[in-house]
Amino acid sequence: MSKDIGVLLQPDKRTWVPQLIRRNWQLLVDRQEFVIFVLLLLVCIFLSFATDTFFTAKNFANLARGFSWIAIIAFGECIVIIIGGIDLSVGAVVALAGLISAYSLHAGLPVPLAIILGLLTGALIGGLNGSVISRLSLPPFIVTLGTMSIVRGLALGLTGGWPIRSLPQEFRMLGQYDVPLGSLAIPLPFLIMLGLAVLMSLLLNRTVLAGYIYTLGNSERALQVSGVNPTYIKILVYSVCGALAAVGGLLLTARLGVAAPTAAQGYELDIIAAAVIGGVSLFGGRGSILGVLLGAAFMQVLRNGIVLLGFPSYWQSVVTGTIILGAILLDSWRRRSNLP
Amino acid sequence: MDPLLRVINLSKSFGTLPALQRISFEVFPGEVVGLAGRSGSGKTVLAMLLAGLYKPDTGDIHFDDKRLQWPLRVRELGIEVIHQKPDLAEHLDITGNIFLGNEIGWPANVKWLKVPNRRWMDKEATRILAQLDVHPRSLHEKVSNLTSEQRQMIAIGRVMTRPARLIIVDEPTSLLTYPYQQNLLSLIRNWHQEGTAVIFCSKDLDHLFAVADRIIVLRQGFRVASHRTDETTREEIAATLIGTTDRNELTPTIWALDSYYRAREQAEKLRHQQSLLKSDLAARDTLNRRLVDQLGQQVYALDKANIALQDAQRRLLTEREEERKHLARELHDQLIQDLLGINYQLEEIEADSNLPPHFSQDLQDISDSIRLFIEDLRRICSDLRPPTIDNLGLGVALQSYTRDWSDRTGIDVNLDLDVNLGRLPETIELSIFRIVQESLNNVRNHANATAVDIHLKHTSPRSLTISIADDGHGLSEEFNLSTLSAKGHYGLLGISERVALLGGRLKFLNRAGGGLIIQVEVPHPRVDMPIQGTPK
Repeated sequence: MSKDIGVLLQPDKRTWVPQLIRRNWQLLVDRQEFVIFVLLLLVCIFLSFATDTFFTAKNFANLARGFSWIAIIAFGECIVIIIGGIDLSVGAVVALAGLISAYSLHAGLPVPLAIILGLLTGALIGGLNGSVISRLSLPPFIVTLGTMSIVRGLALGLTGGWPIRSLPQEFRMLGQYDVPLGSLAIPLPFLIMLGLAVLMSLLLNRTVLAGYIYTLGNSERALQVSGVNPTYIKILVYSVCGALAAVGGLLLTARLGVAAPTAAQGYELDIIAAAVIGGVSLFGGRGSILGVLLGAAFMQVLRNGIVLLGFPSYWQSVVTGTIILGAILLDSWRRRSNLP
Repeated sequence: MDPLLRVINLSKSFGTLPALQRISFEVFPGEVVGLAGRSGSGKTVLAMLLAGLYKPDTGDIHFDDKRLQWPLRVRELGIEVIHQKPDLAEHLDITGNIFLGNEIGWPANVKWLKVPNRRWMDKEATRILAQLDVHPRSLHEKVSNLTSEQRQMIAIGRVMTRPARLIIVDEPTSLLTYPYQQNLLSLIRNWHQEGTAVIFCSKDLDHLFAVADRIIVLRQGFRVASHRTDETTREEIAATLIGTTDRNELTPTIWALDSYYRAREQAEKLRHQQSLLKSDLAARDTLNRRLVDQLGQQVYALDKANIALQDAQRRLLTEREEERKHLARELHDQLIQDLLGINYQLEEIEADSNLPPHFSQDLQDISDSIRLFIEDLRRICSDLRPPTIDNLGLGVALQSYTRDWSDRTGIDVNLDLDVNLGRLPETIELSIFRIVQESLNNVRNHANATAVDIHLKHTSPRSLTISIADDGHGLSEEFNLSTLSAKGHYGLLGISERVALLGGRLKFLNRAGGGLIIQVEVPHPRVDMPIQGTPK
């Protein structure tokens, strides 16, 4: 015996057109990625006309170099937020990973090994975060806040507050090299970011793990009942976040040419903002890598625009904050209207 | 045989509330163990403990003689759990939920990084859902859109994706309606037959007695009894459930349990049967309508065949009359004239005086014979086609025919015609003539009568009645029109056929003083005159 399910929508002839518009508007607005893409385009177009320096190859290259490292860290933050947690220690990991690589390079280790050590640092700190959060069932906010202090303290303590200079050229190439492509010169960090975006996107769409990550964010109990251990997934996700933060840190260090213990201090908000603006819901269970990419790009373009238009850079935070609020409002409105 | 699952001194408290207190029992492979207990007796907590969702405070769980360490990875051991309330992943669709934790993909051994094979999983999911008799609109429907009954069935479907050694069923019947409850019970019986051990927690004694081999009773977290189902009664189980053998407390409880579950089950059964009946009636209704339609069609076909038959018969009769007319004319014009000619020639020869006298007598005899012969022929002609009927009408024809017939047979005929008879259409005049002819034939052949009365009257402006009455021996008791043709008596049958073709009525009556009356009523055709003032 079969049962009839679902609500049959009877199209009311009078309101057919407005209902169509409303449903399509819903579909568009449902996809935050689309909204951000459109906004990004609009802002770019506006800035191209409002200033004469925006639409130049040099500016675009700068933009790309500027937001690539933030975007990479935001990818990691994205999956952490999807499973319902948050990682405030990413900024500190950026600094420490850069420092560890710099120390290894100064110690004479080859560049690849230094890079690997840096990545390991990030992964280990992430793993620590994940273990404490999942096994002891503590709130991620507090745990990562604590880790942030510890790691930042380590970085400052190891260096005494001084940055580490004179990094070898091969290393600095990572952040400063421009790959020639026809008549354009594309910054290497941008390409690395794109590559990581594709990889993470595949992970977050095509694998079984993707399903687990989203289910963790939506209904953790369903996962438990199905025999998947949420603890392991959480540890994995936080480790990946830490590793990606390390990648971002290495790119930043390579670009600046110095490993500073204060690197990325205060950038935590920008990283989380990039994720939220890109459609990752702070309530967990929703988000995509593409959105994060667009979000990070959008933020960078805004910052760039404020500078090019001549406003003091203090206004950057105002704009950033306002947009974050708007994104969260949109997200909560979307959630409410989607509840059965 | 070694027990499959051994639980030793399991305890669990939530803060100060003890949920389970030193529970021990065993489950053997292929056994169905029922766990009976009221709400709060610890059944669900036990199921959660065995599922690995809660950590026991004290005690051990041994599965397959191996001591299980917490956290338990129960699905890998072959233990599956169906919970009281289904926990589904809201944002996944039906297939995703059924295969959560158990996805089929490539490469197979890599646990988390494999790419799920959607098509394969969809196929398997369809098979499982068919087994459970669940028919959602689409496999990709989001589970949040389904009814709670379907969600529970999907949670059960989750259990069926891989073979299990032990299935723990924690009161899922609370969310299911009667047909699905029966489905679940038959599923449990299937699992039992396949050799899977089942632990079935329920408050419903009927269900427990239906499927369980052994019943363990929990009360307030303690295990108070364990009985084999064959060796115990419901009263005994209920008694241990509530902890007293006092009849005054026991009976109402049993009644309450009975009433509640039985009533619920009856209501569900009724509802189920009602919907079955409704669909059955609807099907019968369509069947009836179809049969009525078919019947209508067949009646219509019969009607058409009947009309065609009548037309054919009318044509046959008309053609016969035409033939007879033709024959009569030929006889009259050719044969009789020739014979008359021969007669004249004979008379001329006779008039010749040169003949010897005995020749003259012979010739006279021959001439007389020929004259008689011509008379006979004339009679035959007139029988075939009364010549007067065409020119002078039915009345005159009847008069001359009856006079002739009376002379021939010696039976008196009394003809009484309507004064206002007038002319009628040719077919009707001919038919009435033939009817009278056949009746008189019948009288002569069968009736043994001495007198016949024939009446022809307008009984109403629209109908004509013909009655032919004789004083013979009438009809016998077993007279039956349908047997006449079998016996070869075509006369009366012919009358009835003609009357039917005219659209009239025929009656055979036995006369009071002996004899037969044949009564025929024929509708008198009229030209349709339009009533003044109304459209045609």
